[in-house]
Formats: sequence, C-alpha cells, structure tokens
Amino acid sequence: MIVGGCDIGSATGKAVIMNNGTIVSYTIIPSTTKPELTARMAMDAAIEKAGLSSLGNLGYIVGTGYGRLKVPFANENISEITCHARGAQWLCPTVRTVIDIGGQDCKVTSISDSGKVLEFVMNDRCAAGTGRFFEAMARVLSCGLEGLSTLSLQGKNPAVISSQCSVFAESEVITLVNEGVDLADIVAGLHNSVAGRLNSMVGKVGLVEDVAITGGCAKNEGLVKALEAKLRVKVKRLPEDPQIVGALGAALIAREKLDKKS
Amino acid sequence: MQTSIKSRALKEFAEATATLANPAVEEWKRQGGKVVGYFCSYFPEEIATAAGFLPFRMRATGSKGTELADAYLSSINCSFTRHCFNMGLLGEYGFIDGAVCLSTCDHVRRVYDNWKWKVNTPFVHMMSLPKKVEEPQVGWYRDEMVNLKQALEKHFSVKITDDRLWEAIRLHNETRRLQRQLYELRKRQNPPITGAEALSVMVAGTAMPKQQYNLLLRELLDEISQREGNADYKARLMILGGILDDPGYIEVIEEQGGLVVTDMLCFGTKIMWKDVPEGTGDPLAALAQYYIAERPSCPRMFGDYPRRADFVRDMVREFKVDGIIGERLIFCDLWALEHYLQAKESKAGGVPYLILDREYLLAGIGQLRTRVQAFLETIRR
Ligand code: SF4
Repeated sequence: MIVGGCDIGSATGKAVIMNNGTIVSYTIIPSTTKPELTARMAMDAAIEKAGLSSLGNLGYIVGTGYGRLKVPFANENISEITCHARGAQWLCPTVRTVIDIGGQDCKVTSISDSGKVLEFVMNDRCAAGTGRFFEAMARVLSCGLEGLSTLSLQGKNPAVISSQCSVFAESEVITLVNEGVDLADIVAGLHNSVAGRLNSMVGKVGLVEDVAITGGCAKNEGLVKALEAKLRVKVKRLPEDPQIVGALGAALIAREKLDKKS
Repeated sequence: MQTSIKSRALKEFAEATATLANPAVEEWKRQGGKVVGYFCSYFPEEIATAAGFLPFRMRATGSKGTELADAYLSSINCSFTRHCFNMGLLGEYGFIDGAVCLSTCDHVRRVYDNWKWKVNTPFVHMMSLPKKVEEPQVGWYRDEMVNLKQALEKHFSVKITDDRLWEAIRLHNETRRLQRQLYELRKRQNPPITGAEALSVMVAGTAMPKQQYNLLLRELLDEISQREGNADYKARLMILGGILDDPGYIEVIEEQGGLVVTDMLCFGTKIMWKDVPEGTGDPLAALAQYYIAERPSCPRMFGDYPRRADFVRDMVREFKVDGIIGERLIFCDLWALEHYLQAKESKAGGVPYLILDREYLLAGIGQLRTRVQAFLETIRR
C-alpha cells in the first residue's frame, strides 16, 4: 500500500512516500512562488527516488502545510498541526509536546497518550522565532544559517536581546555589533530570545514530556540547546529529518484513510 | 457550506450588514427621520424608537484604515474603536443626528472623548453604565435612562411618553421574538441557515427601522422553515465574543466545515434571548430590569460570570454544540479574562474551546483557516 504526504510550507516543500508503514523516500525542496508547482516538483522527485513511475502508483495523498489547499493531486488536506503531531508521535511514541518551528510561523501542540491533539498555539502573524527570523539575522551578521548555530554554541556570555520582534531585534543586534560585543555572544543571545518566546508558547499549552522539535529550525542545534535550557527538560532527538515530520504525518494519515476506504 | 438562499429578505439583510447607511436608512433620512447611533448593546434602543428616531448600532464596516484615528487614540486601543472613530473623522457618519456612548470599556470611552471634540454630530451623549447587575444598579441605570430621555427631548424638541415607550417595547419584543424563532430553526439537525447568514440577519436588525425589519424577517422565516437545511458539516459550533459584525469571518470558519449554530455575541443572543415584560406601569423600570438584570450579561459586568457560564452550558445542550470558538479583539481585556474562564469550564465539561484573537477587519485568513481546521480535526477524532 503506497501512500504520500506533501507538506507545502512558506520556505520549503516536502514530500514523503511510504509503503506499508515504512518511509520509502522523501524530498525537501525550496518553495517556488507557486505552491502547485512546489508540490508537483517535490512529489515528482520523491516518486523518482522511490523508483516509482508516476503519481498513479500512490493510493492516497494528503496535502498539508501553508499551501495545503494548492496541492493539486492530493485526495484531501489536513492541517499541519494534526500532521506534525501524528508524524512526531509515530517517530517517537513517548512525545506529548511538539514544537514545530517552520519558515514563517511556529506552533506548539500538546497530544494525548492516544495521539489526539489536545491543544495548540500558533504565533500570530509575526516572524519572531521562525526560520525567517534566523535568515534575517544570518544576513545582518553575514554568517550563514549554519554559522548561526555553530556560533551560538560558542557564546560564553549571551547578550541580552530584549526584542522578540525580528525588525526591532535587528536594530538591537546592530547596536551590539557596533559596541564591539563578541559575535558568538550576540548570536547566543538571539537564540535565547527565540527560545524564550517558544518557552512562553509551551507554557500556554502546558509542558508535558517528552518534547520534540519539528520543522526546519529543529536542525539548528544551538536553538535546541537554548530551548532545553529554558524548558529545563531534554528534547527528544527524532530518528528522521525533523523537517519532513509534517509530510510524514500527512502520509500516515493517508494510509489510515486508505485503510478506511477499503 | 451551503450559502445559497436566494431570498429577497436575506439579500437586504446582507446589504445592510455590508454597508453603513443602507437603503432603508437612506429612505428614512429622505423622509426627514432622525438616526441615533450607539456604541454598545446596553443602549436602550426602545427610547430612541419611542422618540420616533431610528437606533443604529455603530460599526466600522467598510473602513479602510485607522491613520486619522491613530493620532488621537493610544497604541493599546482595540481596532474596532480605531476604525470606527476613523470613519467618524472621515465624515462617513454624517447620516447620524446623535451619538450615544456608554462607559462600556476604557477603549470605547476614548471614542466618546474624541468624538465629542472632533466629529460634528449634533447630539453627543454619555450614559454611565453600572458595573454590577443587582437591584441598586437597576435603579442607577433607570436614572441614566431618564437623563438620556430628557437630553433627547430637550435637544430634538420631542416628547417621549410612557405610551410611546410601551409601544416601542412591544415592537422591539416582536423583533426579539422573531430572531429567537430564527435561532429555533438552527437547533435542527440540518439547520436551514448558516452562521454567516444568521449573523447578517442579526446585524441588519440594528441598522433598519424595526417595522420594516420585522416584515422582512417574517418573510425569511416562512421561506427557510421549509428548507431542507445543511447536512454537510463536521461539527456544530457556538461563537462567544463581542462586536463581531462581519459575516465574512464566520464564512471562513464555515468553509472549514464547522457550522455555527448559536452564539453569545453582541449581534446575537445577548440582545434578544429575553423579552421586556409588557405591561402598563413604569416602562423605564421594566427596561432597566431587562437590560441590567435579565439579558445575558457582557463580561464587563462583575459578579455575573456564573450566570453567563450557565447560559453557555444551556446553549451547548439545546443546540447540540460540539465545540466553542471564542473570538476576541486584540487588546480587549474583558474578553481575554472571560475566554480564560469559559474555556477552562467548557473543556472540563468535555466541550473543546478555541480562542481566536482577531483584528476588527478580517485579516490573516491563512492562519485563521489553519487554526479552525486543526480545531475541527480535534473534534472529529
Ligand atoms: S471589543 Fe472589547 S475593547 Fe473593544 S469596545 Fe468592546 S469590550 Fe471594549
């Protein structure tokens, strides 16, 4: 039984193909300006990787993510909140809190022992604490996204960045740079400020262990560490690329739907 | 969701909701009628009607921005007050002859301060609204109504008699009765009207002469009570909140598959769930009792939360509600606390509750959709 999940985010498009409960292939590509095109490209690449010939090989496809209404070949769409919860819990059944940090928004979801979404919060129309924020900061500090993570782990005395708004944070950072504050300390401070914001979102749904981080920013080890320090718990490292968790959840739901149909 | 009622009545209601001075208001003005705009559902509409005026609930429908108002209001005033005052500054409220404000909350209070000073509405009046719902406050509110009545009589040289007041009470009770009939239909397994349509029926009720409105509403009821109704929905929802006057907002919710069947809104059950007892004695006393002590209260009323929680519980049972959506304008402290309490209680009783912060003008639809869809997915599973 071959199924697919397609997660169209603001920054990247992800596709996952599963066969009888195992991941056969996945792809992550940068988003184009047309969600339909991103979806098609991501899925085509995943199909090729899986050694399949066409979309026709897939029994059911679920679309998710910001562009979920624009996945032309999806049988239905499910919100990314449900998909991330499903994907994270499949990868790690003890997970009860999922922090999804995507390109343009972040969400915290609490799930029950049986995998039901209990509660969720989303940040509101703001780039703070998202991939966009880190991109902007990497640009200001000309150190690249990878560099941000590495630098933040080197900071000895993290600077205090008071503003959680990416526009204001930028001017704070520039002030600090001009004051000659160590770059690593500035970057560590930035990560702390984002972690602080995520921490308060977690507070809103209530922290229950285990905690997993999904989405592209979960690859930023500096952020994961900063978050662990704020939350005062260890974050579960997922056994798959955290960026595909939404698409994975979508594929898992696709499988369920197919089961129900037959 | 099916939104295909082709009735004349519904079209007129939708038009009245989508504009400020709708054709009914324009006609009223053409015939020399006066219009009194008011800022809060605690305004006793019946007094305006008894004076021969058209009571009109202030909205900011069609507003394009807040830049003029921003110069006068602080950065923590809600977006309803900003848009509404902005429209006043732009002269879009030239059709009202009077504006009555109440000390509903600090935000709307600032509109009064500035309106008086900056917008040339001929009659501007403030009613002091008590904070509790007990007997002394009923008396206080009656005094405030006397002040309002005298101010109107003096400014417009009219006489508001007890007979005219009782007449107005009967007319407005009729409106409320018809509106409740509409809600009765929404209790059905397949409600014949969507939440978005029902909201436009309710908003129109605050923007048209009541006689005309009642006729149209009766026509609508006759028409839709025979309809098959909406069967294609994933969950029955109740909406809790304040001045939500935009059916487009409910449409976004209903597009995700949740059918809104009832509410506790300022353009909803809060203004019509009960009647003013009809009689012959002191009409102002009857009105005061109704407005302060009988109707479902607003979160601004202290000490009355238990009654509001009961009201919501009853609604959930009667309308078979699967989930509650609490809407709140950003910066509204009253609703922030109310939703916190209601959500806790509702969830404890097994009814999921989603709190949505919003701006007065519909914005950020993508995020709204995601939240509502995810909420409905939690109800379904
Ligand atoms: S919505 Fe809230 S803040 Fe705005 S006027 Fe009403 S109670 Fe006040």
